[in-house]
Amino acid sequence: MFTFTRRFVLGVTAATLTLSALPAVAQDYPSKPVTLVVSYAAGGGTDAIARVFASRLEKALGGRVIVENRPGAAANIGTEVVAKADPDGYTLLIGNQGPMVVNPHIFNLRHDPAEALDPIAMIADAQLVVVVGPRLPVKSMAEFLEKAKSQQLVYGSAGNASASHVATLLMGQTAGIDLKHVPYKGAGPAVNDLVGGHVDFMVTTVPSVIGLIQDGTLTALAVTGKERFAALPDVPTVAESGLPEYSASAWYGLLGPKGLPEDVRAKLAEGTAEALADPAFVESLQKDGGVPSNLVGQGFADFMAAERTRWGEVVKAADIKVE
Amino acid sequence: MIETIEHLGLGLSVAFTLQNVFFCFLGCLIGTLVGVLPGVGPVATISILLPVTLSLDPTGALIMLAGIYYGAQYGGSTTAILVNIPGEATAVVTAIDGHEMAKKGQAGLALGLAAIGSFIAGTFATIVIAALATPMTKLGLLFGPAEYFSLMIMGLVLAVVLAHGSLVKALAMIVAGVLLSCVGADMETGRERMTFGLPMLIDGIEFVVLAMGIFGFGEIFKNLADPEKRDVMRGKIGRLLPTFGELRQNLGAILRGTGLGSILGVLPGNGAILAPFASYALEKRISDRPQDFGKGVPQAVAGPESANNAGAQTSFIPLLTLGLPPNAVMALMVGAMMIQGIVPGPQVIENSPDLFWGLVASMWIGNLMLVVINLPLIGVWVKLLKVPYRLLFPAIVAFCCIGLFSISNDPAQVMMAGVLGLLGFALYKLQFEAAPLALGFVLGRLLEEKLRQALIISDGSMTTFLTSPLSLGLLLVGAVALIIAVLPSIRRSRDEIFVED
Repeated sequence: MFTFTRRFVLGVTAATLTLSALPAVAQDYPSKPVTLVVSYAAGGGTDAIARVFASRLEKALGGRVIVENRPGAAANIGTEVVAKADPDGYTLLIGNQGPMVVNPHIFNLRHDPAEALDPIAMIADAQLVVVVGPRLPVKSMAEFLEKAKSQQLVYGSAGNASASHVATLLMGQTAGIDLKHVPYKGAGPAVNDLVGGHVDFMVTTVPSVIGLIQDGTLTALAVTGKERFAALPDVPTVAESGLPEYSASAWYGLLGPKGLPEDVRAKLAEGTAEALADPAFVESLQKDGGVPSNLVGQGFADFMAAERTRWGEVVKAADIKVE
Repeated sequence: MIETIEHLGLGLSVAFTLQNVFFCFLGCLIGTLVGVLPGVGPVATISILLPVTLSLDPTGALIMLAGIYYGAQYGGSTTAILVNIPGEATAVVTAIDGHEMAKKGQAGLALGLAAIGSFIAGTFATIVIAALATPMTKLGLLFGPAEYFSLMIMGLVLAVVLAHGSLVKALAMIVAGVLLSCVGADMETGRERMTFGLPMLIDGIEFVVLAMGIFGFGEIFKNLADPEKRDVMRGKIGRLLPTFGELRQNLGAILRGTGLGSILGVLPGNGAILAPFASYALEKRISDRPQDFGKGVPQAVAGPESANNAGAQTSFIPLLTLGLPPNAVMALMVGAMMIQGIVPGPQVIENSPDLFWGLVASMWIGNLMLVVINLPLIGVWVKLLKVPYRLLFPAIVAFCCIGLFSISNDPAQVMMAGVLGLLGFALYKLQFEAAPLALGFVLGRLLEEKLRQALIISDGSMTTFLTSPLSLGLLLVGAVALIIAVLPSIRRSRDEIFVED
């Protein structure tokens, strides 16, 4: 017959206490709401994707996922918040191209995202689109490149070192043309001046101009990805249009602070895969110009490392650096 | 014309369903409340409510969010008038004369004029959106960097008129405002300017932080320092509603403000924020008693409030016709549309006419609701003045802090506002006015941005500002205003007007 001795009870209690002091294990995770940090203000493209993603991840994890906007300092603040957080899986980051692989070449960062963060899974790859407005009446990429050789074209961007800026830099460098950059505060005002005929062209995210393309106000010359974009089937890729080695995309992924417990990380990767298997989520990604990704863990890390090298060369050639 | 009426008819039939009227009411009510609370603004509210709208139908969701936006513009003036703290950044101008009126025991009159002016402005702006959305869009598109810069220069010249004290001090404040707007990373090179290495200053100072600091916290310091002054307004509340005669006296100001606001609202980059300043300047220019501006002139409340509301409404035009958001709230509206599967852009009006016209018509219903919600509430709001200061002040400070924190979930913003509050108090002690500083700050940011964009496009040639007819015209208006201000004979009378305190 088994009897509870005083020593046994104390032992069990102590063991329980010790266990509860340990980092969360996958079975209990998540036992409290998970914070998903977005490095941009509410209402932007990354924020929209993060909010839809959070609602899917909630279902997959079976616990609350709260989006927290921590905008500022070219999205470096959000990175820093997560880099400094406990690696318990309760503070995660939606990382994207700019802060993860471009900013390390431009700013003196206190936390190198490659060292301070653990990549969990990539969510989507969102290609950009090359659009011209009334100031530059060309119909194709070939005409565009021809024109760019005879005169210096002016382009607007969503800001210094933004995806739209670096993608255009790469295009100029690949084609060997000299382009003039006008930075704006966000894609909205830049598209406004493109429609108003104050700048020649823009390389920008699909959702920021899709309505204007469909309406004929702006002309889409090419998309920047490796493949054509489903919603714009007649628009060729830049690579198809005379710059075969060119490709650029803004991508989004899920990351956590360095040192996430392996099982938590696996559970989050599974959750992401589950979200990406949901046709409704995929559809909303596609509306935002995104294509779902299947890169996980090391694969995602390798992808980011390659991107970092690639954009580093572009940024260096264009000599944009903040001391 | 017939078409416009047909469209509005369709819109009204959509907006007048029980469900949509309810969403409109809910939006206006939430908007009024967040507007009244200092610092808690529509941006934070709408982003919190965004996921909720997923489960609503698109028209209802947008009607509610729009209601929050213009409801907040409206509620912001209540706090500005009663406690001299602009609940919304755009209410800075309303606070100048509105609060003076409250001190004179005319709080009810000021609130009533604000409500009725806003309603007239809202009604007119709704018609503008319905009838003139397309030409207004073209007007907005004419403003490239060069034209925008010239508009800002004109605004700066007019800013001098805002002052009711010494001209030199007003100029100093405008320059200080422009300088403050330059804090932060350079837009072209990303290099940090005047940040003293502080991470919280890298993105510059948010206008809400400046307004809450200098006006909000500053006002509280001021009241705590001068207990006798604050007791002046105790107990004097006065009539709640304006008389017919008072309305007639202010109708001109309301209509002029409405016109200015309707035009400035369509400009990209939050041109609507200029509207109340421009209206104040205009009213003071054409008034036969400009010396009283700043001491509680009803027109100085009715005009800017109408301008503010009209601008808030016409800023929907670029969103609806081009899918381009002119400010942060409109960017959130784009987000809401995307969540609902609607691609914002010119085709919305053709593909979903019921949504488009329903939203436009709901704005008019919303404005009516704001009057219905707010006129009876004026009595309640005015009673707030009876709340003992030992309870009122901590409450205001608490709400300011919540609002400031919610800007970017960052305590640094709250601290920054605290420091700016000390600056606001110092300005008050030294008898500098804060309103020109606020305007300088607003204009300064756009001024620099547009100057640099224009010069990049023109390869550094300054003639770009003269070769565009629109830009040239705006500069000429500014120049004429400046000449009038500095002409010796006129200046003598000016000095009499300005320096008497």
